[in-house]
Amino acid sequence: MITVKDLEHLATLARIELTEDDKESLVKEFDSILGYVDQLKKVDVSLDAAGRVGAVKNVMRSDTPNTVSAEDRERLLDEAPYREGDFIAVKKIIAQD
Amino acid sequence: MKIDLSNLTIATAHEHLVKGDFTSVELTQAYLEEIKKKDGKINAYREVFADALGQAKEADTKIAEAKKAGTPFGLLLGIPCAIKDNILIQGRIAGASSKILEDYRATYDATVIAKLRREGVIFIGRTNMDEFAMGGSTENSAYGPTRNPHDSERVAGGSSGGSAAAVAMDGALFSLGTDTGGSIRQPASFCGVVGLKPTYGAVSRYGAMAMGSSLDQIGPIGKTVADCEIVFNAIRGEDTALHGGRGDGTAITATTYPTTRVGSKGAGKKPVIGVPRHFLGGDGIDPAVMKALDAALESFKSKGYDIKEIQLPNISYALMVYYIVMPAEVSSNMARYDGVKYGMHVDGGDVVQDYLKTRRAGLGKEVVRRILLGTYVLSSGYYDAYYNRANAVRAMITNDFLKAFESVDLVATPTAPGPAFKVGEKASDPMSMYLEDIFTVTANITGMPAISVPCGSAEKDGKALPLGLQLTARHGDEATLFEAGQEFLNEI
Repeated sequence: MITVKDLEHLATLARIELTEDDKESLVKEFDSILGYVDQLKKVDVSLDAAGRVGAVKNVMRSDTPNTVSAEDRERLLDEAPYREGDFIAVKKIIAQD
Repeated sequence: MKIDLSNLTIATAHEHLVKGDFTSVELTQAYLEEIKKKDGKINAYREVFADALGQAKEADTKIAEAKKAGTPFGLLLGIPCAIKDNILIQGRIAGASSKILEDYRATYDATVIAKLRREGVIFIGRTNMDEFAMGGSTENSAYGPTRNPHDSERVAGGSSGGSAAAVAMDGALFSLGTDTGGSIRQPASFCGVVGLKPTYGAVSRYGAMAMGSSLDQIGPIGKTVADCEIVFNAIRGEDTALHGGRGDGTAITATTYPTTRVGSKGAGKKPVIGVPRHFLGGDGIDPAVMKALDAALESFKSKGYDIKEIQLPNISYALMVYYIVMPAEVSSNMARYDGVKYGMHVDGGDVVQDYLKTRRAGLGKEVVRRILLGTYVLSSGYYDAYYNRANAVRAMITNDFLKAFESVDLVATPTAPGPAFKVGEKASDPMSMYLEDIFTVTANITGMPAISVPCGSAEKDGKALPLGLQLTARHGDEATLFEAGQEFLNEI
């Protein structure tokens, strides 16, 4: 049902490197899992697709920055693998020609 | 006095603390000794906190102050508990039993932790789990499986296997777990303890690592229904005020659901129990499970409960819906583990290679499987066929339950299709592991509260393995679960 090529595409989208062994076992597992959930295609869907989980409503909050204490900020920054001063350091994401 | 941990409940432990039969330090010490004796084999704990006795000492001071002032103190003050490794306790490692968060130190307290801290509990340690709560056996932990205290050849269940085993082996008086498709109830069933998945929104998930956000709930595991009720009451409720407006956006309030029936006191009569026979007793169900269910229903009958057969026409689709909706949500929730903001980082030359290599090295097989599955069902061209359809069927299943609850107050099923299975038995076949969730996912699909209570046993290899009875109630009606559960276990 799903090909190795499909799987490689998904892995690129999800940003996960796969080994050849992974791909082989995942193709088989996908077949068995998708074969199972595909039974849903037989259901006569009478409702609109707006799934509701009970009466839960989203609680909105104002779009304003929260004050974070210097201590909290330090703790958050300290968890970053690479940090430069008060910034999280990342590699450049735009390549030059 | 000699502390008999096996017969202790929160209420009796509290009574002993009140009377001064033992101190919180002595109680905590007793649990630590039990952990030392048993956990080498069981592997319930990822870490036992070095300051547990220090916390107990503080609790003893508060107890002494309350006694001196002649004021009563809370039921949870000085009570040792265990916390699943995906719930944040400020300053401590929270690893979700994953390599990618091996050294991650929580920067704040989860709401449930803040609430328990206020009660004065002792955090004795953090418990082993399936990586990021994905699994039904705790075999997906990056740190080895948790073994069942009733038979160490067998799994403790999952994903909150460590939390269930910790309570079952007397390594804590209660614990917290998370439940996305059965992860509190199934390990509770396997380990012979009680586990509650509250109504969606009843307990704030602020500070719990998200897996399937429309399904996740935090809940208690304890030895008795009364213990779970005490802990639930301590952790439930809105938390928008707690974090400067940054709490769980899905929190429900006391008036979200109608409260016309709160236990039998509201209705003036015993709850009616519905049984969806048409869905039970299939091929994959252990005969001992059906026998235990029938015995449980007989016991309820003898206690004056009405038993009624009900139809839930779309319930057989619940597991399929779950294995579409859950991976879809997993795939987006797991995107945050990128080696940039926190956690493991593996260098790969450029930024994309960093992502690819970090996530490859840090995430286990099942997590990768679900991320890819979720990416697939959400991808262009498949979205309508999978995700939208699953959500529509999800609404149909919820409607089936709401309709059933017009004539019954509880729905009874087994918690799991069988007792604890052997370590390794299902590890190589994801689909057979997924089928473990057949009875539990419906409560997450519908958002309704459900509890697993010990219910008989199955004899395997000369060992009596616990089984569980699952009761589901209307949205917001945990009270009826507690009432029926306590009557069933003869707690009242």
